Amino acid sequence: MTRRSGAKSIVATIVTWSVVLATVFPLLWMVITSIKPQQELFTIPPMFWPRSVTLEHYRELLENTPFLKYFGHSLVIASSTTALVLVLGVLGAYSLVRFSYPGRERLALLVLFTYLLPSVVLVLPLYLLMVKVGVANTLLSLVIAYTTFSLPYALWLLRAFMAGTPEDLEWAALVDGASRLGAFFDVVLPQILPGIISTAVFTFIVGWNEYFYALVLVNSDSARPLTTGVMNMLITSFNIEWSLLMAASVMMSLPVIVIFVFLQSHLTRGFAASGVKG
Amino acid sequence: MAGISIAKLCKAFGSVMAVKDLDLEIAEGEFVSLLGPSGCGKTTTLRMLAGLDFPTSGTISIADRVVNDLPPGKRDIAMVFQSYALYPHMTVAQNIAYPLRKRGVPRRERLVKVMDVVRLLQLETLVDRKPRHLSGGQQQRVALGRALVREPRVFLLDEPLSNLDAKLRAHMRAELIELHRRIGKTMVYVTHDQLEAMTMSDRIAVMQSGVLQQFGTPADVYERPANVFVADFIGTPSMTLFEGTLHRQADRLEARIGSLAISLPREHVAWTGGTDTLAIRLGVRAEDVFLGETGEPATVKLVEPTGHENIVLLTIHGMVVTARLAADARLRAGEAVRVGFRTSRLHIFDRDAGTRLNGDGPARVASFRSLQSIGQR
Repeated sequence: MTRRSGAKSIVATIVTWSVVLATVFPLLWMVITSIKPQQELFTIPPMFWPRSVTLEHYRELLENTPFLKYFGHSLVIASSTTALVLVLGVLGAYSLVRFSYPGRERLALLVLFTYLLPSVVLVLPLYLLMVKVGVANTLLSLVIAYTTFSLPYALWLLRAFMAGTPEDLEWAALVDGASRLGAFFDVVLPQILPGIISTAVFTFIVGWNEYFYALVLVNSDSARPLTTGVMNMLITSFNIEWSLLMAASVMMSLPVIVIFVFLQSHLTRGFAASGVKG
Repeated sequence: MAGISIAKLCKAFGSVMAVKDLDLEIAEGEFVSLLGPSGCGKTTTLRMLAGLDFPTSGTISIADRVVNDLPPGKRDIAMVFQSYALYPHMTVAQNIAYPLRKRGVPRRERLVKVMDVVRLLQLETLVDRKPRHLSGGQQQRVALGRALVREPRVFLLDEPLSNLDAKLRAHMRAELIELHRRIGKTMVYVTHDQLEAMTMSDRIAVMQSGVLQQFGTPADVYERPANVFVADFIGTPSMTLFEGTLHRQADRLEARIGSLAISLPREHVAWTGGTDTLAIRLGVRAEDVFLGETGEPATVKLVEPTGHENIVLLTIHGMVVTARLAADARLRAGEAVRVGFRTSRLHIFDRDAGTRLNGDGPARVASFRSLQSIGQR
């Protein structure tokens, strides 16, 4: 290694670690705050490391607040949205790639159209629609809303994977005795599994973290997800329950972090595919 | 007949007719090649046989049963694709077992059959590998294995050797011939490579623009091409074709090609119609051109040595003819020679319709008589 390339590498390392620290610090602060005793939260000067560690905020959150109820709502919403988006996305992408019908390409472009409009433009008509259909203030309203903006991405991502699966494989399966649906399950689905996983992770994260639509479409505790629920119960005009808020944030982040850690490689492959293929 | 019967088969893609009025009778156990250039309709025909495309009209029967409306899996066929179409997520054994699994063959029986095929194709050491870890030749064998394991009545092969290098292709060609001899099943083989078709087939169906041009044995299509297209397409190097006229005289025929006149016996052409002159194309195979002491003066234009022979372009009366000469014929470009044609093997085609006019019926043994007739008027 030459002296110049060595210096370059050191500078690159410093810059990289600075960015990593700047990104990680709020998360670290969140975790540390959630295990600090209440009296240590507002000391001056602020203390980074707690003198003693406590889990009382977690206990308080789980025992005396509707946190678990909201958690359950979020789990149902994110999982249902993911399942719905996967079923519609896989079948839709298959149709876009394998069947030829008039306006196929236009349709594929049209589904992206919703991304061109700001959420605030879409949310009010969507709310009125939910009221008319009679599903306003329900978990279903959020599942439908999240599906509308997750599905276009899923369609395009899965379409790229589907297009990369040779049609000959399906023909071969048909000749080998499979039905069209059998060929789809036996041959096509295994080929697009990375796409399915990355779509699922993306959709679940969107459904888990979404705040704006949840705020507008749901104003009852019977269907409130974690994002708006936590805000509603811990942040008021007069007070912010910082320690509980941080404990709630940690627990909210855990499922997403776990999913991301285990399926990271599929997720990055999916993002790469959506950019390169299709 | 318990083979394949195709009657008046048509396939249209929009306004484009990919296959037109195709009639083929393939006997059980026969090896038939569908041969033609890209876009001639051979793969479309094969896909209709497989049930992957539906005919616009016409019927396809396999073993005396019309299969037009049957799905591919119920036609008692197996197909080897050009890309092999091996399932990438399955091992070699799973790939070969797949057709049996889809037919509900019990696990134990499946295992026995798969191992039989694995031994037949010498894949014993590869059964647990995924297709991406196999060479082209191995993949090709697995694809064959998947077709063989079900013991279907008919094998359909879509250019299965085209992705292999020349040496492996020759090897696999021999293996396929041996395999066909051993199992004796009907095979329909699509190729654009005339060498494959000529060496492997019992009969060849030559197609162009969706129309069957000729259906016959390799010897038939080579020695008695039905029309100009077949004459030009079959054979390497291609047949030399001259435009000219054919004149009926009292006891002979005379073909006039530019300033060249070739005398032919009356029975060389099955002459119908009232006129005494026909516009023709005259075809000469490269091996029917020879050098001699007598004959017409010609100039060597180009020599292409292939090792075991020389392909030589000769200019005769301002026209170029291709000759296949022995490797020891030491010729140089620009050299003056004398050239003769084997008249009994000259091919005469109607210039407008392109159809064969020779009155030879079955191929005659070449007489190889020297052509003093060249240049005679």
